[in-house]
Amino acid sequence: MPDPLLIDSALRILLWSAVTVGFYWGAKQIYRRWPRWWLSPLLVTPVLIAAVVLALHASYRDYIGGTHWLVLLLGPATVAFAIPIYEQRGLIRRHWPVLLIGMLVGSGTSVLTSWALATLAGLDGALRLSLLPRSISTPFAMEVSGDIGGIPDLTAVFVVITGIAGAAMGDIILARVPIASALARGALFGVGAHGAGTARAAQIGETEGAVAGLVMVLVGLLNVLAAPLVAQLLR
Amino acid sequence: MSSRTVTARATHVLRHSAPLQVGVVIGFWLAGEGIVRLFGLPLPGGIVGLVIVLALLASRRVRTRSMRRGAQWLLADMLLFFVPAVLAVLDHQELLGLTGLKILAVILVSTVSVMITTAFTVDRCYRWRADHAGSAPH
Repeated sequence: MPDPLLIDSALRILLWSAVTVGFYWGAKQIYRRWPRWWLSPLLVTPVLIAAVVLALHASYRDYIGGTHWLVLLLGPATVAFAIPIYEQRGLIRRHWPVLLIGMLVGSGTSVLTSWALATLAGLDGALRLSLLPRSISTPFAMEVSGDIGGIPDLTAVFVVITGIAGAAMGDIILARVPIASALARGALFGVGAHGAGTARAAQIGETEGAVAGLVMVLVGLLNVLAAPLVAQLLR
Repeated sequence: MSSRTVTARATHVLRHSAPLQVGVVIGFWLAGEGIVRLFGLPLPGGIVGLVIVLALLASRRVRTRSMRRGAQWLLADMLLFFVPAVLAVLDHQELLGLTGLKILAVILVSTVSVMITTAFTVDRCYRWRADHAGSAPH
């Protein structure tokens, strides 16, 4: 007789993984036919899943217990960026000073506008600090958040919101503001919306995806290195 | 069969199988995680794995062909891997009220600012360099 607990967790993984992959696949088909930002799979899929979780009176713990393996695949996906980055090495070698300036300006804008807008909205303390690293990818952001006195858990949520919102808004910006170079289009997504933005950039073009992936990684490293300095300034 | 033909066959199979290549990528990620744990580095394991693969590609010890299909497969559906993390919002009910709206506004306005300043900075610098290098920007 197998352990009932084991069967329970196996069922949980099967159920929640099937729900997640199924809704994602469906949302992708819909987005392919009607490519509107509000039909973006990263927006539609979580809403549908949340409805199922709430309808079944399940909790986030139940859900993530069954789908954590999907989040873990973000690690191999990060490694996978080595291929497009290597294939675009000529472009990167030619334009690294431009990308570096873009990353510094973008990262500075992110921290300054987050701080200023949060102050304006009357948010302060750990909440405001948790907002500062939200435009870099989750593992880096949580590291920085802890360093500067924020709440890493909350930062993780803000990072994800930034990613979804950024991937959608990047499209809107590109539709209205003409950005001629693939280099700038990639940097827009990589600096502004980390992994989710990079995934979107990779769908727009191979160069855009490679630039976004590279910039995402470098901007994350840059922020981890700058965090002690920012912490000093905030004290 | 000599060991050489076995290696050649294995390489051939690897170059045509996306699932096997995903396995190779996962292997490099695990190696990265291991190194991070071993040395207590303040970095995600995926980043260390990425640096290892880049180093192997640059020194021509590994060819892009042995990972290209697997990498494309992982990157094409990367958005799916973010979906479960989004549901963490369910655990933070305090974000559903006015505070949540304020935070959302801060995130939206800040993200648009970051995207526009970054894209414009890169675009301007790119054109400036292209003009000064004597070739027209494309």
